[in-house]
Amino acid sequence: MFRRILIANRGEIALRILRACRTLGVEAVVAYSEADRDSLPAQLADEAICIGPADARRSYLSAPAVISAALVTGCDAVHPGYGFLSEDETFAEVVRAHDLTFIGPPPDVLDRFASKEGTRRLLGGFGLPTIPGSDSMLRDDQHALAEANRIGYPVLIKPSAGGGGKGMRMVRTSRELESAIKICRSEAKSAFGDDSLYLEKWLDDNRHVEVQVAVDRFGAGVHFGERDCSVQRRHQKILEEAPTPALSAEKRAQLADVAIRAVVAAGYENVGTLEFLVDGAGNAYFIEINCRIQVEHPVTEMLTGIDLVALQIRIAAGEPLGLRQSDVVTRGHAIEFRINAEDPAHDFRPGAGVIERYHAPGGPGVRMDSHLYPGYEVPPYYDSLLGKLIVWGPDRPTAIARGRAALEELLVEGVTTNIEIHRALLDNETFLEGKMTTNLLDRVGGAAFLAAAAAR
Amino acid sequence: MPEAGRQPEPQDDGSDSSRLADHAGIARLTDDLLPALIAKLSTTQLGELEVREGDWHIRLRRPYGIGPGEGRRASDKPSRSQPGHEGHGHGRAAVESHRPARPAASSGGGAASTGATAGSGAASAASNGTGALGHAPSSKDGDGDRSRSIATSPAVGVFNPSPRAASGTRVRAGDSLGTVDMLGVPQDIPAPADGVVGQTLVEAGMAVEYGQELIRLELTAPTSAGPAEGR
Repeated sequence: MFRRILIANRGEIALRILRACRTLGVEAVVAYSEADRDSLPAQLADEAICIGPADARRSYLSAPAVISAALVTGCDAVHPGYGFLSEDETFAEVVRAHDLTFIGPPPDVLDRFASKEGTRRLLGGFGLPTIPGSDSMLRDDQHALAEANRIGYPVLIKPSAGGGGKGMRMVRTSRELESAIKICRSEAKSAFGDDSLYLEKWLDDNRHVEVQVAVDRFGAGVHFGERDCSVQRRHQKILEEAPTPALSAEKRAQLADVAIRAVVAAGYENVGTLEFLVDGAGNAYFIEINCRIQVEHPVTEMLTGIDLVALQIRIAAGEPLGLRQSDVVTRGHAIEFRINAEDPAHDFRPGAGVIERYHAPGGPGVRMDSHLYPGYEVPPYYDSLLGKLIVWGPDRPTAIARGRAALEELLVEGVTTNIEIHRALLDNETFLEGKMTTNLLDRVGGAAFLAAAAAR
Repeated sequence: MPEAGRQPEPQDDGSDSSRLADHAGIARLTDDLLPALIAKLSTTQLGELEVREGDWHIRLRRPYGIGPGEGRRASDKPSRSQPGHEGHGHGRAAVESHRPARPAASSGGGAASTGATAGSGAASAASNGTGALGHAPSSKDGDGDRSRSIATSPAVGVFNPSPRAASGTRVRAGDSLGTVDMLGVPQDIPAPADGVVGQTLVEAGMAVEYGQELIRLELTAPTSAGPAEGR
């Protein structure tokens, strides 16, 4: 086990990692930017070291600053948390070159899973269902029409190069396809200098379901079931729950099983999450793997009673998993509410300011992971996550009831938060029926969603 | 009481306009003399400092109850200025005991919030002078004065003061006072202002964090031909 870990992150996840370190009896050093000098993790750490100015590029995203801090504070490992440098294989390599351990997958594993398209092909080869698409790049219109017919409309035309939506079109008919292909080719050509296109099946009302896995250095792996993250806003998750209401128990078990088999076969190591899109018929398609601890990991911790961050650290230290699949038992239902400093009535505009009052809810099955305290100044430089409220119940209705009570009790004053959106969600019929899809909140709009809830 | 001293007269730049001279005088007062005086007041046990010069006089008064050193910014916890990485520790500090540092910092921002008055025939100087100070009570501006007189670390790494910038050396703003080695890459420590190198606060070879105070600077007016003030 490590002696001393540098936590190269901020906010609630820095605090979460610090708590895991305490549990493991490992000293924790928090690396912070000037803007986070008075933050809770910096105050509670065994040691705190300022690594740069508020600008993340010169602090939390600066590999030299983070590694230098680890070296001068006598650490033997670096925990990157999520975001920032957590999935940067170059950073992981430099960490190792300085005789430190990167807490996450080893650099060669990160490298193998770095490309989304490559990962889809790799894991698809090990039995994961992937989104149906064209067999190769589109040669001509004839080829495109034949492939689209085979896949079934609607289809998404995607350029081989680049990203950001350029050269991308969703089409519902063969006529649309013919005209859209010309536009996509010229867009892709001018944006990336490469006009090769391919087709992917478009899933209209999809749900986002992900499987949590852990694999040790010796190739032993277990899954911890899935989480449903369909409540999103512009591809940002705001509420997660488990088990997913979208799939039957049998389908859930099947999905988790193919997921863990595929990643073990592909040589994955450490904790990870496989993300799937699930269509209306309950078909799951693999989209990508997250090689880090995720924001929503507590949902799984509530169901299994297993500390995933501690497990992540133990695996990185070279310890065997110490778990068989039969040791992982999921119980009940859990929901996580992401509490953000943003204004749902004004297009989720992010806010900053001083927390005047703060009260975290309690009671059975209630957990609050947050770095807030009264007087804390929320800096404007980073993401707006203030904390996560997680509730557990023996079944979904009980979890929802505890969620309502806890959200009622939760008090955050001084900055505008999205707490109202969560309260509204727990009164929303689509959510209560377990039928949220990833596009629902964006389609309705935050303000309209709140107004509808208020009118009930 | 250390001699606030006779400040050098404004340089005769050849302009025969007394109005221009006035403006130059105001600029010099607000830009050079005041920060230097504030820095001086901050480091002494004095409660008040007054300087007279020709038609001008400036009086700085420390708010009652704010002792020297208490005007340091919240981040200047004593542990931070100690060399060695042990010095970075917050310890398992209680949140409550940590907070009161902030109000102290703003009131102590410090010496800068003390009043200044300008003498006869200098109405514009008075408004300009106090105007400059009037914005000062925020801790930020207090930091501004402080940052001018103390060179801080540009990076997290190992401190290497330059032998060519030993105590007593006269330097210009931007001159290198040494480096902080971050993973073997030297990062320059620039002098924050014109002045004379004073006390080095961290031993050579020790680990320092970003923003840590490293070297004191005795400020001098850039136009001054006279010797630097001693302490």
